[in-house]
Parts: sequence; structure tokens; C-alpha cells
Amino acid sequence: MSASGRTSRAAAPLARRRFLAGAAAGAAALTAAGCARGTATSAQPGTTSISNDNATWDDGYRAAGRELKKITGYSLRPLSNPSVTSYQQVVQMTLQTSKSSDLVKWASGYQLKRLARAGGLTDLGGVWKGYADKGWVRGESRDAFSYRGTVYGIPLYESYYVLFYSVPVFRKLGLSAPGSWEELLHCAEVLKRNKITPFLASQVGGWPAIEWFQELVSKTDPHFYQRLVAGQASYTDEPARRAMDLWHDFMRKGWMTPPDFDQARGPGALKEGTVGMFLHGTWQSAGMAAAGLEPGTDYGAFILPTVRPATAKSVIAESGVFAVPSHASSHTAAMANIASWLDPSVQRVWSDFLQDSSANPTVRSSNPVVAALQRDIARDHRLPLVRYWEAGPPSLIQGNTDDLGGFMAGQTSPATTLRRMQDRAHDEWAAWKRDEA
Amino acid sequence: MSTSLTDRHPPTAAGGTAAPRRTKRRTPLGGSRHGLRERLMAGGFMAPAVLLVALFLLAPFVWTIYRSFFGDSRTSPFSWFDNYTLFASDPALSRSIENTLLWVVGTVALPFVLGLAIACLTDSSRFSRLARLCVVLPYALSGSAVAVVWNFMLTTDGAVNQVLTNLGLGSLTQGWLLTWPGNTLVMILANAWQATGVAVILFLVGLQSIPPETLEAGALDGATGWQQFRHIVLPQLRPVSIIVIGMSLVNGLKSFDLIWVLTQGGPGRATETLAVSMYNETFLELRPGAGAAIAVVLTVIVLAASWLYLRRQLDVKGV
Repeated sequence: MSASGRTSRAAAPLARRRFLAGAAAGAAALTAAGCARGTATSAQPGTTSISNDNATWDDGYRAAGRELKKITGYSLRPLSNPSVTSYQQVVQMTLQTSKSSDLVKWASGYQLKRLARAGGLTDLGGVWKGYADKGWVRGESRDAFSYRGTVYGIPLYESYYVLFYSVPVFRKLGLSAPGSWEELLHCAEVLKRNKITPFLASQVGGWPAIEWFQELVSKTDPHFYQRLVAGQASYTDEPARRAMDLWHDFMRKGWMTPPDFDQARGPGALKEGTVGMFLHGTWQSAGMAAAGLEPGTDYGAFILPTVRPATAKSVIAESGVFAVPSHASSHTAAMANIASWLDPSVQRVWSDFLQDSSANPTVRSSNPVVAALQRDIARDHRLPLVRYWEAGPPSLIQGNTDDLGGFMAGQTSPATTLRRMQDRAHDEWAAWKRDEA
Repeated sequence: MSTSLTDRHPPTAAGGTAAPRRTKRRTPLGGSRHGLRERLMAGGFMAPAVLLVALFLLAPFVWTIYRSFFGDSRTSPFSWFDNYTLFASDPALSRSIENTLLWVVGTVALPFVLGLAIACLTDSSRFSRLARLCVVLPYALSGSAVAVVWNFMLTTDGAVNQVLTNLGLGSLTQGWLLTWPGNTLVMILANAWQATGVAVILFLVGLQSIPPETLEAGALDGATGWQQFRHIVLPQLRPVSIIVIGMSLVNGLKSFDLIWVLTQGGPGRATETLAVSMYNETFLELRPGAGAAIAVVLTVIVLAASWLYLRRQLDVKGV
């Protein structure tokens, strides 16, 4: 800076002070900025914000929002947090503040009940009634969207749990979609003989461990499944034991993928022909398309047959939920949009984006595989069952899912697994009822 | 601190010479205005750090202790030590403690032994730089990235089993991440793969600070290579060893990211450590009281282990 040493020494304290002052000012500015109100969830004219835990759906929300804007004047502005766990924390905390978004994506059933009982959600009974009058919602599913008789959620989507299969592989081996339990076993045996793992089963990520449990129990006895998830039957009862024995038998025969097989690889495995059937929600259709699989030509889907021919036919259904926080920044706009969400014109766009069935039963899926499933469900009057994940108190479901994961890894026998699940059910149902009293 | 600060004052700042100032500085602080000013200044400098620690570390910790005495039902009633009794009654937490102990032993022993061996072998060898780079590189990766790499290796249809099959060792293939305690042990190995790098760096620094005269003297006295290592090198690496073991001890107790990405504590909560259990109970099982109790126990263990270890080691003369 200067050739003179004297100048340097004299300037040093000043420079230091200037630096310290600058640093202090910078810190103060950062603190002020940190304390300032964010704008992400603030009201923005002509839009409603929507909290979402699936960033891959953002384009779908925007497309559906453009249709909504034609009806209500408000589009959708997705705010995504892809980590499900942190998303849940953020939503639960912001519901109690004035910073909540206008619409919140959540799960139905007990997940919604738990959120609703903490307060902070808007009563959507009027909206539900409007939809029910037009036939745009299934009346029997009202309980999955209610807490203590009040509706707090509107269906966001509706998916079914089905077995996807590879059409070319089945054709090559002379197989067709099984219509009975015996045909299913035959398919599995043929696939196994041809060195193809018949079924994809996974516990990667935790929750997929419920998929085979809910399917096998409900296809053994759907009414027992309903009683079981309502806390009115025991996990150690005969239908649950039979279902677990079937599952155990499938594993012992090598019909299931190892439990650390990631489901994200499912579409690729079907395409390669290393896995024969992939049990998952119909929302997986979008994943199939992403893997370059065409519905009908590359993959098909069927609902798992009942174990006995006389057993009532059922289907596991999963519904996401839109809820409106009481303190939504644009509450009026949010209510307008939620009142038109199930409008067929909006659902056409949304269903096409998801390649899945719509929550509005009058809207047929444009995906021929899903449309065929919808027809099958309607024709056979299949009993819709709430997915296990949403069907009981969250602490119970989480604990039992862990136990099922342990069973899949061979840590516990079917009997031990069921006994543990029942012990937990006993405690958690008692805790839930105490809280509700 | 005050000495170094005041030493930096320009000699003429107080209008006197350096000598009287030095005398003045050495008077007891209490009572004098200057001493008070220095203390206020020191307090002012320390205040931001103290405030931040109090606000973001101590206050949440006190709140966590408080929360651990309340139940997890809707009304969160005061429940005395109920959350702490879970350690005796919940098999998942018992397994979590076992795993934490395995992690502590593994993360202390493996990086220490491997780090020391690699540092000694590469200290003066021809390819030492390349070898060191290979060992140290994983340390630059985040725990999550390491977990993604090892996930590719360890899943049932992953690289390890494929290599074994191709070598005709198909009977050795297994679900590495599926059965306990094998899954915990392979994750400890994966962690050692990453953590050894920092141990190597520290031991190399230690080795380079050993005066060569001591080794020459040993050689003149007829000490063999092993004897030189055992009686000359190893004692002089003691300060570095203390740091390596201390760091590994704490890292072992709070291991989380690798486990979370590889197994999420599963299957069936078999691979949880206390840190993972704390997260699981709080955010997945929705039992913040139980999670708080685990956090308190974990903190006490970390503090106690660190204190006991460091108190014992740092008393050693010259450290």
C-alpha cells in the first residue's frame, strides 16, 4: 500500500476498525434479514400457494392451476420441500402461525386426523357437500377426510395398489394377468423357473414394508382388514397369521426380491425383465412412463386376486388430501380453488399429468391400464380399503412398519412379528383413545 | 489475552512511554479503572460468542432436559422419569445402545490403527504422496456421499456380491445391510474408510515433528525397527494419538448420516445408534419426550466420555 513503513503502522488500526465496523454492519444486516418475514407464503395476487412434498408434481400443479384460474381467477403456486420428514415438521409448525401456505398437501385418514386435532385447519364441510351433490366424491370415503365428524380435507388424488407386470415377458412365457390365486401362483412358478424374480418387495425407505402386508391381509379377508386397522381385531387372529404365512412362504421360495431392493428401480427391472410383478400404487404409472414404458404394450396391471374365490373383492386405495390452514395468507382464494379442484376440467389435466386415476369418479384416466383398473373396480364392486399407512394412529403404523421391515429381513418369524404388532396396537390404541377422551 | 491486546497499542497512544504502561498493566485488575475497562472490553469481545452459544446450544439443551420429563400424549403430562425407563423396556433402544458401543469401539480402533499404520508406511516411501492422497480423499466427501457409494456396494444385488459371484465365491454372498450385527459392522468399516484419512494426516504431522536425532540415537544403541517404533516413535506420537482417539470417540457416539442414508436405522430398527434413535423417536414415531430423553442420555455419555478421557490424558506432562 505504501513504501513507507510509518504510513503502514499508522493506517493499520484504522483499517482494523473499518474492518470490524464493516463486519459488525454485515452481521447486523444478516441478522435483520434473518429476522425479516419471508415472502414465499405471503399473498400474491391471482395465485394460491400450495405446500407440497413431491417436487416432481410441481408442473402438474401449475398445469391444473391454469385450468383453475379460468374458473376461480387464481392459479396454483407450488412450494416444494422434497424431504417428507422435514415437510411434515414445517407444515405442523407453520399451521400455528400466520406464515402458513394457502393449501397444504397431506395424507388422509389418521394422518389428517392427527393434524386436524392440533387445530389450525378450515372446516371444509360445505365444499364436501357441494362435491357430494354433484357426485364428484365418493360418499363412503368421507371418514378418511374427517376428524370428529368435520371434514378437513378434499381428495387430492386417488390411487390403487396393483401389481404392474411386463407384458412382453408375460407374453414370451405364455402367461396372462392372473384372475385367481391359483393363476397367480402359476405365474410366479413359471417366472421363477425362468430365473425372473416373480415379485418386487422392498423395505427401503421404511413405508414400502406395508405393501405386501396390507395386500395379503385384505385379499385373505377384507372385512378382517377393516376391523384390524380400526383396532377391533387382533394381529394374532387367524386371517393375519394366514396372510403372514403366505408372505413367508413366498420369501422362502425365492419369489420376492431382497428387501434392500430399491423400488425406484422397479420400472427399470420390469423393463429389463429381471422382475416379473411390481406391487405399487397406480401413481407409479408416471414412473413407468419416465422409464420409457408404454401402458398396454410394455406394461399392464391387475389387482391381486383373493386367496379364496369366495372372498369379497377389494382394493387398497390411497388418497392424498388438500387442506386449508385457518391462517392461510389468501384464505378466500384458497377456498375458491379447493371448491373447484375436483371440477372435471381441472381433474382432466391433473389426471393426465399423473397418468393416474382422479379422485373425481366421473373422470376416467387417460392411461388405458389405469382406466381398465377403474372399470374392473366398478364392475366387481370392489370394496375400497384405506391404505395401511393412513388407517391407524401414526405412532402405531410407524412402529408396525418397522416390525414388518424386520420380518422382511428375516429378523423375526411371522408369529413374533404379529405378536409385537399386536402389543403395540394395544398400547397405541389405548393412548389414542385417551387423547381423544 | 489482555497482554497480547495491550501489546499492540501504539507506544504513544496513552501519552506516555512504554515502560510506565507496562508497569501499569501488571497491577492487579480489581479496583483500578483500567482493569475494569479491560474486563469490560474482554467481556464485550466474548459476549457475541457467549450469547450465541447460550442461545443456540445451552437454551435448547435446557429445554430438551425439561421436555424429557413430560409424556408424549396429547396433553404432554409431567411423567417423571418414564421416558428414561424406555431404555430398560424398549428392545429397540437396548439394541441402539449395543450398536452405539460397537460404533464407539469400531470408530476409535479402526481409524487409529489404520491411520497410524498408513502414516508410518507412507511417511518416507516412494509413492507416499499418491498413497496418502488415496487414503485422505474419502475424508473430503460428506457422510451422505460416502453412504451412497457404499449403498451401491453393499445391497444384495450390489457390487460386492457381484464380485464374489464372479470369483466363484457365491456362497459368501449375503444381504450385507440386512442382518444384525453384520450390517452394523459393515457400516463401521465404511465409516473407517472415510475417517482414516484425517487420522493419517494427524499422524503424519506427528511423525514429522519427531526429532530425527532420537531415532539416530536409538539406532546407535542397536534398537531394531520395531523397538524404535515401540519405544521412540509411539511415545512421541502420544499427543496426536490423544487427539485422534478423542475425535473418533465423539464421532462414534454421534454417528448418524452414514446410517441414515444406508439403512435409516432399519431393517426393523436393527442398525440404530442413539443419535438415530433420537431422530426416529422424535420425528417418525412422533414421541418428542422419548426423543428428548435419548438426546439427554446421549449428551451425558458424550460429555462424560470426553471429559474422562481428556482429563486422564491431558494430565500427562508435556501435553
